Amino acid sequence: MFDKILFISSALATIVGAVLTISVKNIMHAAVFLLLSLLGVAGLYLTLGADFVAVIQLVVYVGGVVVLMVFAVMLTAGSSGQKANRFGLVKIPTMGNFRTYTIGIVFAALVLMTIIKLYTNVFAMSRLAQIPAYSPTVSKIGISLVGTHVLAFEISSVLLLGALVGAAIVSRPRRENR
Amino acid sequence: MNQTVASYLLQYEPVQQLLAFLSKLLGFNAISLLYFLIFALAILAAVGFLSLVGGLGTYAERKISADMQARIGPNRVGPYGILQFLADGVKMLLKEDIVPTQSDKFLFYVAPMLCIVGVFGTIAVVPFSSGFTIFDFNVGLVYLIGISSLVGLGVFLGGYGSNSKWSMLGGMRGASQIISYEIPVVLSALSIVLLSGGLSFSSLVKAQGGWPHQWFIFHNPFTFVGFFILFIGSLAETNRAPFDLPEAESELVSGYHTEFSGMRFGFFALAEYIEVFVVCGLAAALFLGGYNVPMNLGGDGLIGQVLQLGSFISKTLFLYYMVIVTRWTLPRLRVDQLMTMCWKYLIPISMVNLIMVGLWMVAFDGKSIFDLIFSGASVATGTGH
Repeated sequence: MFDKILFISSALATIVGAVLTISVKNIMHAAVFLLLSLLGVAGLYLTLGADFVAVIQLVVYVGGVVVLMVFAVMLTAGSSGQKANRFGLVKIPTMGNFRTYTIGIVFAALVLMTIIKLYTNVFAMSRLAQIPAYSPTVSKIGISLVGTHVLAFEISSVLLLGALVGAAIVSRPRRENR
Repeated sequence: MNQTVASYLLQYEPVQQLLAFLSKLLGFNAISLLYFLIFALAILAAVGFLSLVGGLGTYAERKISADMQARIGPNRVGPYGILQFLADGVKMLLKEDIVPTQSDKFLFYVAPMLCIVGVFGTIAVVPFSSGFTIFDFNVGLVYLIGISSLVGLGVFLGGYGSNSKWSMLGGMRGASQIISYEIPVVLSALSIVLLSGGLSFSSLVKAQGGWPHQWFIFHNPFTFVGFFILFIGSLAETNRAPFDLPEAESELVSGYHTEFSGMRFGFFALAEYIEVFVVCGLAAALFLGGYNVPMNLGGDGLIGQVLQLGSFISKTLFLYYMVIVTRWTLPRLRVDQLMTMCWKYLIPISMVNLIMVGLWMVAFDGKSIFDLIFSGASVATGTGH
């Protein structure tokens, strides 16, 4: 009963937030609704017993990504002249030409294929799977990160190093050519 | 397993009897209902207590600042003016709620809510005592850091939605400051996670002892430095002086909450004072032994719980006092000084700290410096063993 209430409220937050994110005109409001949606996803993780993933969702998406988005919107809004209002973009002329529609259709097809592939497994299951009893996941994730999956872990650190070096190169003052 | 206040109370005979009585009365297993009731009561108690602390915080701030400046401070409402915060609260509730016509209404309404939700969300894991932690989440520290980042977003959206230059500047400063100072705070908290080997507040606190030499602040020289980094970082995260740039009165009128009036302003103010309490509690739990009582007086019974509550709250309030004294002692930093201090000093120091704490764990097998001195002394004098 209690689990169901938690699940329904998290799912509602996720769906309502996602729908409002793509339907509101104002990009700042969209960021706030995206926040609601991401919080709902964290709640969904919690109802599945994935405690570590849920709090990392909170830290990374709520604390990092949404704040960064809001920052980016604020720093770029108004810089593109008449096309943007105070809250971001009103309309960009290039938004609906042949090229963008093609790209959109290709990506929609990709997403649809992924979803169908996922859902075939779901429908193949005859009944609702039983969620195993709750057990803490932190130590398991830690052990597998530096154990069986150490290669992926190290490669992602190389990626982060690349991003760091790139940021340093972009932001450092240009040297004058004498 | 995740310990909660409900599972703690259910150990006791009267609560089990109540459960049996309720089940018999209602005709079904009432354990969920009882859990719900206990959580509701515990959250009500914690929110009420923290609101009281927040309210009294404003009073303490005025009284201490008055003392430091050889004034008297509030002295009209109640004995020694102690009811001043109630008068302020009533005033805020009765004030007209002004929403600027040119503001972004939605963001204007949402921003104070985000602040207060972010702060009250942290209460769930604050370790008041071994029994009275509402939910001893096994990743409680990460949860606290994650949910409290809503406050930064609230500050920023409040500044942005007001559509005023002062608010805008305050909000920008607030957001950049909160994001920047999160890094040294998390890094120095991580060094404590290394030492205790757990992310839940109970494991962090229980790895320490009741006496000061068992606290993590005196564990080794690096954690000693780490405590001050965490403390400075949490001053900046809660926008307290000398880092109160987001609401710098002399430049920005009142910063991000310039346009807010009535209870919306009250939410911002209350969120700030409660957040100060929460981050002081975090520092006390991580470095100052948390709720540990010397010699484990009172055990795990109800008397022990009261002593533990007293231990935790007195440590936290001491830090709260230090925060207020700091505010009225130091002048405000400039923006560039603020960023320099964070990115060029605090973050490198805390990174070195983290690595050195790891090395200390390897080199001395996780023993604290006092353990090493005592064992060395007992070997030298031939006593012990």
